[in-house]
Amino acid sequence: MPIVRTLPEALADAARTDAGYCFVSGNVERWRAYADIRSAALGVARALTAAGLRRGDLVAILLADAEPFLTTLLGASIAGTTPASMYPPATGDARDLQLTVAILAASQARAVVTTRACAPAFEAFRDRCPSLDLVLCREDLDAPASEPLAMPAPGDVAFVQFTSGSTSSPKGVTLTHANLSANIEAFRGPSGVASGPDDVAVSWLPLNHDMGLVGMALGALYVARPCVLLQPQAFVKRPAEWLHAISRHRGTISFAPNFAYDLCVRRVKDVSDLDLSSWRVAGCGAEPIHPPTLAAFAEKFAPAGFRDTSFLPCYGLAEHVLAATFPPRGRRPRTETLSADDLTGRRLAVPHRGDGPSVSLVSCGSALPGHEIRIVGDNGQPLGDRCVGEIVLAGPSVMLSYYKQAALTAETVRGGWLYTGDLGYLSGGELFVCGRAKDLIIVHGRKYHPQDLEWAVDGLAGVRRGRVVAFGSVEHGRADRVVIVVEPNGTVAPGLLADTIRRRISDLFALYVDEVALVPSGTVGRTTSGKVQRSATKARYERGELGGTA
Amino acid sequence: MVQPASPPIEEGVIDVLKNVSRRPIAPTLASDLVADLGFDSLQVLEVVAELEDRFDISIPLNDVPTTRTVGQVVAQVAALVAQRSNN
Repeated sequence: MPIVRTLPEALADAARTDAGYCFVSGNVERWRAYADIRSAALGVARALTAAGLRRGDLVAILLADAEPFLTTLLGASIAGTTPASMYPPATGDARDLQLTVAILAASQARAVVTTRACAPAFEAFRDRCPSLDLVLCREDLDAPASEPLAMPAPGDVAFVQFTSGSTSSPKGVTLTHANLSANIEAFRGPSGVASGPDDVAVSWLPLNHDMGLVGMALGALYVARPCVLLQPQAFVKRPAEWLHAISRHRGTISFAPNFAYDLCVRRVKDVSDLDLSSWRVAGCGAEPIHPPTLAAFAEKFAPAGFRDTSFLPCYGLAEHVLAATFPPRGRRPRTETLSADDLTGRRLAVPHRGDGPSVSLVSCGSALPGHEIRIVGDNGQPLGDRCVGEIVLAGPSVMLSYYKQAALTAETVRGGWLYTGDLGYLSGGELFVCGRAKDLIIVHGRKYHPQDLEWAVDGLAGVRRGRVVAFGSVEHGRADRVVIVVEPNGTVAPGLLADTIRRRISDLFALYVDEVALVPSGTVGRTTSGKVQRSATKARYERGELGGTA
Repeated sequence: MVQPASPPIEEGVIDVLKNVSRRPIAPTLASDLVADLGFDSLQVLEVVAELEDRFDISIPLNDVPTTRTVGQVVAQVAALVAQRSNN
């Protein structure tokens, strides 16, 4: 049995080494040893306690910068409160905050920790969050460090991670210290990345994302290895910065979604000054993996010493802490080319021969040690090899719950099995992911709940109440096409209505709506329980039956 | 902040926008980058990088979320170019 360590225990262990985080901002690199991070976190813990926060209080962390985010998360954990990470608003602008405020209200957060710049905006929304007692500025939480009186137990909640959006009933993935420890121990081990004393992690991933927080920042902390953290925006602006950081720091482990590898292929101009020979684990996950992207990346960066055997395409999700399956290291990505018709029509993975459309999928490997994976049919019965069904997972990484959402939790975790909502098949024990059972929209590694987009549009003038459907139309190897189907009530001109809808979604989610379909009354069906018939509407859209688009 | 932008800057900005967009677009000064032109947050930052290279300026990342229209981009680039020439 691997040893279970709480977050504060792992931090204390790491603080006894020389390792730490390197925070990169522009040309400035700041190393902070884990011992310094721990001192800062102890100070935060003391300040939070002094502010009146108690065990179990939800503390929402709304900070974009890595160092204050991490010291606040760790401090809140040491103090015994429940830290919650949320997607920080882009600005202090009221319209950027609406979504966050809805999550704060529904989750009954007792405190917000944010920057001094954003604090006044949250103060202004207090009347909409009755449980919110404290709006705290991170700048005011630098108390002198003192050893805490009590520490969390393995079964206590380590943190809650709110997925992007989910407004009316926010989905806060609630993980215990035992969950976190089990997943990190499994993926750091020989069946995962096999971390060793020479490893250096490099990441640009946002810390409110499971792969950035658990996979990179906390993973490195648990193994007490250095971790170089770049700003996500800096990477997206100049993707070469990521590869330069790996070169400069002799990085060995770095994970990113498929789109990041694609950005590097398209936008990095000069390969000559890069040395990627140290990069032994190039993890790829968090969104569908497109084999041609990995091949193009390997080809382009081979002159810089990149090896395609470094790729580690993997599968996981926040509800399972992070990682679920890993392929063996040192192997080229294993791909299968299948008949697309058999895959969707007969739900069977049949090799593509001759005519008809094909689809290429990458193996994401096998379940981590101590964890189980199954593919199940619509009635929950286990399916055989190469049959497509829902991916279900069991083991110590399965989340405790969705925060204060008992019904949703019971729907998702049944008999110890986590129903992922993702579709896939097993072949020789290896998982191939081929779709989504749930209606998530995935654009550039970020997941959007269609309910949130529908909620945002439903209140607009010119829209028939409750007659809005949002979905992502999947285009293989690309970001989903975001489609919103609306029944107008005739009070607003069609062109203006489509424009208003696009602006609303852009304001709240920074997401472009590829198509607004304005459809006649009665087109958007309802289930007997009053929910919109999303998949039926999507199917009709994809068959070209819904006209009147804008 | 708002000052008359020189025509070359406006042309340059529009040229960058057209190059970065993966669909045909006809930007005007009033166009909203996301809602009208269909840029996602990734492409907005790609625009920033391309503008920095073309005009030899540095655009602070903190200003990016508040910049929404083509007109605002042109004004900001013009201000940064003027600042550079004055130094």
